Amino acid sequence: MTTRREVLKWGAVLPALGTGWHGAFAAAPPNNALGLDAMLVDTRFPGALAVADAPVPVMQFAGDVTRVWFDELDARWRQPGFVLGGITGSDALFVLEVLAQHQGRKVISRVALDLPPVNGVQAVRWIIAPHHPSVTA
Amino acid sequence: MSILPPDLDEAGFAAFLSDLRVAVGEDWVWSSDTDMFPYRDSFSPVWNTPEEIHASSAVAPADVAQVQEVVRIAGRHGVPLHPISTGKNFGYGGPSPNVQGSAVLDLKRLDEVIEVNEDRNYCLVEPGVSYFDLYRHITDRGLKVMIDCPDPGWGSPVGNSLDRGVGYTMPQFRDHFGAHCGMEVVLPNGELMRTGMGAMPGANSWQEYPYGFGPDPSGLFAQGNFGVVTKMGFRLMPQPEYYRTGLIRVPRRRDLVKLVQHVNYLSDSGMVSEVRFASPLSALLGNPEFAATATKLGGPTDAEMDAFASAAGLHSWAIDLQFLGPEAATLAQWEYAKDRVLSDIPGAEALDGDHFALPATEEQLDNVTQPYPSAIRRRGALGVPSLGIWEIVRDDGHVGFFPVLPRDGEAIFELQRVLGDAQRQYPLPPYFSAVTAPLFWHSHTFQMVFAPSIKRDDPEHNAMVHRSMKHMVAVAAEHGWGDYRAAPIYQDDVAATYSFNNGSMRTFLEAMKDAVDPNGIIAPGRGGIWPRRFRS
Ligand SMILES: Cc1cc2nc3c(=O)[nH]c(=O)nc-3n(C[C@H](O)[C@H](O)[C@H](O)COP(=O)(O)OP(=O)(O)OC[C@H]3O[C@@H](n4cnc5c(N)ncnc54)[C@H](O)[C@@H]3O)c2cc1C
Repeated sequence: MTTRREVLKWGAVLPALGTGWHGAFAAAPPNNALGLDAMLVDTRFPGALAVADAPVPVMQFAGDVTRVWFDELDARWRQPGFVLGGITGSDALFVLEVLAQHQGRKVISRVALDLPPVNGVQAVRWIIAPHHPSVTA
Repeated sequence: MSILPPDLDEAGFAAFLSDLRVAVGEDWVWSSDTDMFPYRDSFSPVWNTPEEIHASSAVAPADVAQVQEVVRIAGRHGVPLHPISTGKNFGYGGPSPNVQGSAVLDLKRLDEVIEVNEDRNYCLVEPGVSYFDLYRHITDRGLKVMIDCPDPGWGSPVGNSLDRGVGYTMPQFRDHFGAHCGMEVVLPNGELMRTGMGAMPGANSWQEYPYGFGPDPSGLFAQGNFGVVTKMGFRLMPQPEYYRTGLIRVPRRRDLVKLVQHVNYLSDSGMVSEVRFASPLSALLGNPEFAATATKLGGPTDAEMDAFASAAGLHSWAIDLQFLGPEAATLAQWEYAKDRVLSDIPGAEALDGDHFALPATEEQLDNVTQPYPSAIRRRGALGVPSLGIWEIVRDDGHVGFFPVLPRDGEAIFELQRVLGDAQRQYPLPPYFSAVTAPLFWHSHTFQMVFAPSIKRDDPEHNAMVHRSMKHMVAVAAEHGWGDYRAAPIYQDDVAATYSFNNGSMRTFLEAMKDAVDPNGIIAPGRGGIWPRRFRS
């Protein structure tokens, strides 16, 4: 489990999500012990930006994770720690999961959100956390 | 579900894992179901069926000495190793092996960019270096060379080229194995070998002259199983100063024959980067009458297709041309290409495209400034790695069959007709119709694409896809069109089609396999080459 200075529970983000999102998150099991260091939001899903006020850095992208991964996540995932929460399309999560696995990380929570798909893509709420001893703090 | 290596019991497997842990450390050996999940082929059409091939374990050494030790341990325990570099071979088997119970030899920790030389235009990299890593290394240092990358950019020059992958720039760079120059290999007995000038102590031309002296064994390691590649050199293009595009389109269906000849000339003369062929008539596929004609059994006549084209005011074929080099040279080459084609094909017309100095801005890379619709993906065309291609992935992935065909318009028509007819019995989108254009990926040949999607929760669909893949490979081979690359579950089918003189090539390769890898340790079955131990 990651040691970190700032602990933010998913619950702290929920009020920022608005009704639809709140409902979606409320269905998720609480990750009491696990805080988030940052959030990643896929702006293809209307309402996703409701988390912009979350008290952790919120990164955005629209379907293609290239820039956010290349500019931010690659470096963060090379260091120990860094728990990332996300609300993205399932396609983007697949790509992120593969990249995360390569760097000793895992999806530890994954919940399909009850939101209208965009171009056939399902919205998912997830957490990616360090898993391999080389990156667990 | 515990998977054991072939011929080992639980105790033998435990002893193997224990030796691996001593060699590479506790944390870099895996065998649990959860840890092995990422080593399954997530695009597999035989997912969760008895045909799916599972690895028993995975090991990630930190350096070449550890790779040698792992190979020796595998030899002692008789466990087949399946080497991967970055393991992202989606559509061609992912990281999954050919033999149930193999140990994946994951080289991701060998991730050093050893050298990028901008005066002599090459790089030397380890297997765990991705295209993104290499690109970052070059741009961070402002080096004046351009890489040629495949989609998606998370793969590696070593892994991609060893599967004979392709990119999207000039012909001499986009055939990635063709662009390699010099390798270092751990042989099945654990010994280290270097090819080409690397075999000569003190030579400083390893990445400049691939052959050295005598037979060059480097081809054995591409789609082969003769060793584990631990370093590879690649030729790089000097960063071009300027990029220019242009579109030429021709009115009639049969104009494709001449168009292809012109493209062959331009490409083989080194004047153009990757050329994208397309048929503007594809826009009519939503029209049921046109779709029925374009996909009809035995193929449509030229007159039928030309009638649709003139009624819709569309051209039959188009080529997207790209030029890289000094600004004046790109302009001269574009003017030459226009003159050459327009003076030979009546009714042909040319449109000037976007052109700008390199490196490109983000807006230019996004290709939003082209004055006409274009299929060119600018990032790939300009050696900028990306993951954006994921937008084309449907359902839970796909499997790919990419038959190689001659660069000849008549051959294109024949393939459209033959494979179009062959795929009719499968409820799949029409991969081959009278408007299907060739792909010009490899430097001197065309390919076409058959890449049906798979669905994890629909085994019937996947079984149909699996049958269709085997069927299409067989039908294509009857006409001399062979697959260039295949997932482990199709490698035997594909290898069997390369059967000249009772399969003498395979017999030769298997004789060599038995000689250099008598225990069948390195990737048995890869490329359809089976060591004696597994041949039956
Ligand atoms: C949407 C999409 C688009 C794609 N577009 C392209 C494209 O444009 N061009 C293209 O070429 N591919 C493409 N691919 C296929 C694939 O993703 C890439 O080819 C990718 O680069 C291969 O994965 P890799 O580089 O991680 O190689 P790896 O998976 O590491 O290696 C491939 C195979 O080579 C062998 N091998 C690897 N390393 C070694 C070693 N060190 N020693 C011995 N043998 C080894 C193994 O058999 C391995 O399975 C695409 C896939 C998808 C899903």
